[in-house]
Amino acid sequence: MSKLFRSPKALTILILVLGTFVLSIAGGALGNEFGGGFLGSPIAHIQLPAEPVLEDELFPGFELTNTMVTTWITVLAIIVLAFLATRRMTEVPTGLQNVFEALIEFFSDLATSIAGPERGRRFLPLALTIFLFIVTANWLGILPGFGTIGRIETPEDVIHHAEEKAGAEIDLTGVHLQIFDGKGFLALALPGSMDETITAAEFEEHGVGDGKQAGLLVPFLRSANTDVNTTLAIAIVAMFAVHFWAFATLGFGHIGKFLDFKGGPIALFVGILEAVSEVARLISFTFRLFGNIFAGEVLLIAMAFLLPLIGIIPFLGLELFVGLIQAFIFSLLTLVFASLATATHETNH
Amino acid sequence: MLWLRPWRLSVQPDGFGKWWLKVMFEALGINVAGLVTQLVSFVILFAVLYKLLFKPILRLMDQRSERIRESLETAERVKVESARSHEEMQKQIEAARAEGQQLITQARQVADRFREEEVTKARAEIEAERARAEVNIQRERDASIEGLRREFASLAITAAERVVKRSLNEEAHRELISEVLDEGSRLKEG
Repeated sequence: MSKLFRSPKALTILILVLGTFVLSIAGGALGNEFGGGFLGSPIAHIQLPAEPVLEDELFPGFELTNTMVTTWITVLAIIVLAFLATRRMTEVPTGLQNVFEALIEFFSDLATSIAGPERGRRFLPLALTIFLFIVTANWLGILPGFGTIGRIETPEDVIHHAEEKAGAEIDLTGVHLQIFDGKGFLALALPGSMDETITAAEFEEHGVGDGKQAGLLVPFLRSANTDVNTTLAIAIVAMFAVHFWAFATLGFGHIGKFLDFKGGPIALFVGILEAVSEVARLISFTFRLFGNIFAGEVLLIAMAFLLPLIGIIPFLGLELFVGLIQAFIFSLLTLVFASLATATHETNH
Repeated sequence: MLWLRPWRLSVQPDGFGKWWLKVMFEALGINVAGLVTQLVSFVILFAVLYKLLFKPILRLMDQRSERIRESLETAERVKVESARSHEEMQKQIEAARAEGQQLITQARQVADRFREEEVTKARAEIEAERARAEVNIQRERDASIEGLRREFASLAITAAERVVKRSLNEEAHRELISEVLDEGSRLKEG
């Protein structure tokens, strides 16, 4: 410790770190109670369904949500990377080609170890696509700008949606709105705006004053896997593929697993259990990924609210790790389910 | 219309039988439009990646592993071949060495035999030479002894003649005899 105080460099670093920490506490939600809060912004409105990016439906029956936008960005990013990697392929791989080859090699070995060389080769493309999509979406989702830049939803729309959702009149004192400067369409979660909130009831009564507007920030971008639709879609594709491969390998024997009339009532019951477990797999696929990524998002929002500047740094690392692990688990389980479903008496050892 | 516009769905809170619809469609935000969009996006991604990434890279990797396998096999074959030829060479060297050894042995035997013959011949010649020399010496000696004897006899005769000439004079006899003997010894010396 004494050594630390004698070294000016270490002392400077220590003071800077401590200063940042104090600054971040004072500027966050804790400091806000004592007149600070100059770095924070009101905690974001958190909801499970993805928010529509546009005020109106893009075309009847279709609302463009922010998770769709992120999905398309993700898809585009992966395709561009894949294009760059395979544009000029060489026998001795370099750069991006090398990265993708290493990835394919890794998953190829994984698939081979799970399902054997022949079936592993068949399962590989889907497993790898699942991995690439999920990991890219997760890692994109923790970039700055996700969840913090968006349009302003007007108080009328906010109340209207809340009432529509509840199916009845709602208590307006329970609806919290943010106050934004200016009259623009775009909104940012600005530092120092922590107290700039108002309830819908107060807004109805006396408004927010000139040059300001109330409403909710609706982010343009939101991590794709924080939408159940995305995770459900991937799960459906995965389970569909699993049963497709099983049917292609076993024919009607695959259906016989679920509807076994020949083996007596117990076999029939086991078949029904099998069918239920397939549905359970679909649901667990969906909610494992969704839950992990959504929880991570909420965690980051909460930490940014409590400790602005530095609070999210360790959790960004955690989210990088979780995003990777969830992607890997999803593709690994797809491989395992596919391997189990296509197992015949010869391959089942 | 419920399935087409589920986000517009409004379920009465007291309608307990449809609580799960409310949970799924409103609380979780599952809706057909979103689901179909995500499905289509993912399937497009899969199709594009399959064409663009997996097929070419897997083909390339297969080709590469095939080539590596081939070159390994070739290397193995070359190794075996070279081992065989090395062995052959070794065998040839061994044979040549044995042959050389045999040749040397033969040459040595021939040389030994030749030397022995020569030595034997030389020894025989020397023997013959010596025998001849001995014979010569013997003859020489015999001749000289014979000569000496003849001389001596003639001397003795001469001495007897003189003794007889001078008649009986003891002193003269003795003188004569010693004279003869002197002569004889001189003769002998000479």
